[in-house]
Amino acid sequence: MSPEREIHTEKVYRSVLAGDQELTSAHVQSALDANIDANVILQEGLIGAMREVGRLFEQNEYFVPEMLVAARAMKSGVAVLKPVMVRENLKPTGKAALGTVKGDLHDIGKNLVGIMLEGAGFEIYDMGTDVSPEEILEVIRTEKVDLIGLSALLTTTMGMMETTIQVITEAGLKEQVKIMVGGAPVTKAYADKIGADGFAPDASQATRLALDLVGAAS
Amino acid sequence: MMMKKQEIQQEINTPEIEAMPQFEMAMKRVYAWFENEIIDRPPVRFTAHNAFLEAASEDISTFTKEQKKQWWFDCELQVDLFKKSIEGRQFHGETFPVYFPNLGPDVYAAFYGAELEFGQVTSYSIPFVRQWDDADQLKLDLDNAYFKKIEELTLHALERCEGKFLVGYTDLHPGLDCAAAWRDPLQLCYDLYDDPERVQQLADLAIQDFEKIYDHFDALLKENGQLSASWMGIPTHGRMHIPSCDFSALISGKFFEQFGLPILQRETKSMTHNIFHVDGEGVAKHLETILSVPDVHALQWVQGVGANYPILQWIPLIRNMQAYGKPVIVDLSVEDLDDFIDAMAPEGLFLWVAVEDEQEELDILDRINKWV
Repeated sequence: MSPEREIHTEKVYRSVLAGDQELTSAHVQSALDANIDANVILQEGLIGAMREVGRLFEQNEYFVPEMLVAARAMKSGVAVLKPVMVRENLKPTGKAALGTVKGDLHDIGKNLVGIMLEGAGFEIYDMGTDVSPEEILEVIRTEKVDLIGLSALLTTTMGMMETTIQVITEAGLKEQVKIMVGGAPVTKAYADKIGADGFAPDASQATRLALDLVGAAS
Repeated sequence: MMMKKQEIQQEINTPEIEAMPQFEMAMKRVYAWFENEIIDRPPVRFTAHNAFLEAASEDISTFTKEQKKQWWFDCELQVDLFKKSIEGRQFHGETFPVYFPNLGPDVYAAFYGAELEFGQVTSYSIPFVRQWDDADQLKLDLDNAYFKKIEELTLHALERCEGKFLVGYTDLHPGLDCAAAWRDPLQLCYDLYDDPERVQQLADLAIQDFEKIYDHFDALLKENGQLSASWMGIPTHGRMHIPSCDFSALISGKFFEQFGLPILQRETKSMTHNIFHVDGEGVAKHLETILSVPDVHALQWVQGVGANYPILQWIPLIRNMQAYGKPVIVDLSVEDLDDFIDAMAPEGLFLWVAVEDEQEELDILDRINKWV
């Protein structure tokens, strides 16, 4: 790696970790002005920083506020990169649709997963809360998503994950998407039992899982 | 301040609950537990965490939003459901039948103007403070529909409780949980970095009327011969409260100390019996800060579900809680009971065990008696 490239990507990386939006935008612009490749800035600066944020979160060194401001800084950097990414036809890592299952209105976990997946380069389609299996079928059919993320916080609503997967399977769409599940009452054993492709206990691990599921893990 | 055991026992004047003939002895065991002492065995409640709520429910999943609200607002129905859930039941151990008026944990935020959306077993606050200027409209209103409904539910239950059950006060979440309900929890997380002064103002507002609200319902209950109890179903003769801060699970120790600790100090200071609700590992990471408040008299540990279940994996944490000298409530499944008893000393523990069968309750009491 050239020293100039390293200096620029390091600055981007540090400003994302610090959750500083303005600095991140400025450093991304400086890197572009120095002719650093947009994909390098994205992967080594922005996405690399979010990977570190995930690690710090799992180590209890970062918490939700730190994760959120870092993701927001990353997003501001992506906004600077966007015109170049479009021009150079850089594709997102994948497209994920996220929703809290029917009967459940909790959305903190789902939103955190969405923010972290965006940080990993995914395009996010937010289905919201209280999402019926039929609504999810419609999203699979119309949004061309690679991944469905289902969330439930209550033991009384987690059964709806199984129903949703059954409905997707019966509609013959199960092979088109990967399905990951999460939420306080959900376990890996439960995810396996209901036929989900994966389970993650938090937003950071959900990001690694999503990358694995769409075959984009580094 | 905790009262001394002798003072407590002198002033115990227990109500009569037909299905709980051992009420007075049960109260004495609870008071002893508050002091980390045991009279003959540690207290045992034969209902799991939140089980009173679930038992007094019915399927409303197909209802419209408005129908759900009507269901939650129907005083007669709610008290009927509670009565049905305890019908024919004998209350063994320290299983006190306590009805508490419930519109969900965000009702405190709703007293100030936030709206609630109702689900099957809980409700959700619709964020009210979208822009900071919206906070100017937040004002405690004792004529507010949610406040009046809690009052109405309380009064209705009081009319129907005699000899059958106790009536407690609702689940009050002032402080950061209230601020998060007004602002949206994730937005409040951003605010901690973007505008900490505004967070402080919101947090101050979210605690400033707490005593007034508590005193209002405390007076209503005491005027009607009730003890002091809430959703945990643990009555006392003093001022019982359940401080909690679910929002703290999201934030660092630094932020909790800055914004949460002063609220906890204020929230607990006028109470005689504070049992802090430690809702999972995320809240437990602030244990040292929580226990730095001398008026936190006891803890309730809830390990949660999913991978956090069962309780045995949390024994080191529970021992740590005990090491601070605080009594602890634990939520056990019957399957874990023997292993738990083998691993722990009984002092300072209050066991909550979900049991359906009366004979099993009596068998468990026998086992607990032999534990001591």
